[in-house]
Amino acid sequence: MTTPGGEAPVTSDFVRSYVITGGRTLPDADDLALHTLVTLAPERKPPLGAGPEVMAIWNLCAGGYLSVAEVAGHVGLPVGVARLLLTDLSEQGHLLRRAEPPRAQNVDRATLEKVLNGLQSLIG
Amino acid sequence: MTSLTQDPLLWILLVVLIAAVVAVMRARRTNMALRRTKKDLETGLGEARGDVGQLHAHVTALNTQHQRDLADVRADAEASTKAVLKSAMGTLQSLAEEQQVLLDDLLKKYGDTTDVLGDLMAVDHTGSQFGRRAKGISVLCGGWLGRREGLATVYDVARSAQGRIKDFNRVSVHSQVNVSLVGKAVEPVAVVLAELLDNATNYSAPGTPVEVNIQTVPSGVCFIVDDAGLGMDQETKDRAATLLSVDGPVDITGLGDPPRFGFAVCGMLAARYGFAVSVGSVSPYGGVRAVIRVPESLLAPDAPAPVADVRDTAVPEAAPQRLAPVPVVGPSHVVGTTTGGLPKRRRRSGPVTVVPALDNADGEGTSEPASEVTASRLGAFARGTQLGRTTKTTEGSDDQ
Repeated sequence: MTTPGGEAPVTSDFVRSYVITGGRTLPDADDLALHTLVTLAPERKPPLGAGPEVMAIWNLCAGGYLSVAEVAGHVGLPVGVARLLLTDLSEQGHLLRRAEPPRAQNVDRATLEKVLNGLQSLIG
Repeated sequence: MTSLTQDPLLWILLVVLIAAVVAVMRARRTNMALRRTKKDLETGLGEARGDVGQLHAHVTALNTQHQRDLADVRADAEASTKAVLKSAMGTLQSLAEEQQVLLDDLLKKYGDTTDVLGDLMAVDHTGSQFGRRAKGISVLCGGWLGRREGLATVYDVARSAQGRIKDFNRVSVHSQVNVSLVGKAVEPVAVVLAELLDNATNYSAPGTPVEVNIQTVPSGVCFIVDDAGLGMDQETKDRAATLLSVDGPVDITGLGDPPRFGFAVCGMLAARYGFAVSVGSVSPYGGVRAVIRVPESLLAPDAPAPVADVRDTAVPEAAPQRLAPVPVVGPSHVVGTTTGGLPKRRRRSGPVTVVPALDNADGEGTSEPASEVTASRLGAFARGTQLGRTTKTTEGSDDQ
């Protein structure tokens, strides 16, 4: 661990995630699913005393819709922690969210082929 | 004359005279003998006194020697205890660090499983406290803390310290200061602040707040810890002042049982890294005010301006480039060039698998207008997915 003249490097995350959440209970995943898209509501100012993580999320979301999973990935936080911060912002009215796009229905092959044929005849 | 010689009185007188002379002679002899004896005795006494003096000096010398030897033995014992403890604590320290790195990964891995994440955080919390203890003892035994690469903002240092104590949610950190500490000062200041916070939370009523205010002063930055406890009595104050001003090895056996390492650790680290800790004053809430003053020499010369970026410098993993690609406004088709799967999401395949296949083929194989036409005709398929994921800006660039 300790070598004379040099200290061992410490690489663990400096600010632990339970401090970022303030020890609060994490919100349910149903509320903001991984694929839920969020973006900043227009004409909003960051909340007073927002921590660096909230500011990072703020700046990320200012660019347009991003999924919860992406936000978590970019700010380097566990998804649950990012979800809590997003929930906070959302409750303060700073966020617009859009439910995950509905899964495409499985269309039977025959229909698809018909459409394709139709299109091909249209486009030539 | 004959009558005189006949006089019995004369004889009596004579006899008395002779007796007196004999008595005087004897008395004189006795006196002289006594004087001699007295002289002898006096000489003996002088000698004896001298001997006693010598003996006394000898005893003193022996005593001093004994004390010295005892101190040496104690110091030796202390040194060897410290050496053993230091190496043992070093092992614990690296295990604690290993555990935290492992937990970092686990927290990310199970980030979406709320229950597991909550439990992992609880484990992480106890682990952090454990790590702090191990570090404290190690420091007292002459060990090192471990070095963090890169800077950390004072706000993050305070939050890191907050995470290392039991009642961390009683602590609130207020910082209007946007300053960073240099790498070598990051861990020591965090450990010292954690010890002060531990003290503050332990010696104030449960539920009362503990505040950390960070302020710049002409000579550096101050971390001010205020609690709402009962304050310290004079004895504790004196003890704290002694331990905080220590400049050299600390006698770890003199820290009580159970040992109170806190102030000793603070004093040791402050002396080693050149910052100052004081606990004498009274907080506005009536409790103790503890202050760490970090001199300018331990502050990063150029503090990064925006708070969000500061976090990134603190965590080397989160390089600022990862944030940069977010405004996808610029180039329209430079997709997939970014590392780390950045939000160039209009290119990502939607649930309908047919769409991206066509899209890719068109985008790469044919000219822009052709793909545009195809895309618009296939729009019905993609609407549910692409629209959902497209922002205003990306819509704009798609049309170009």
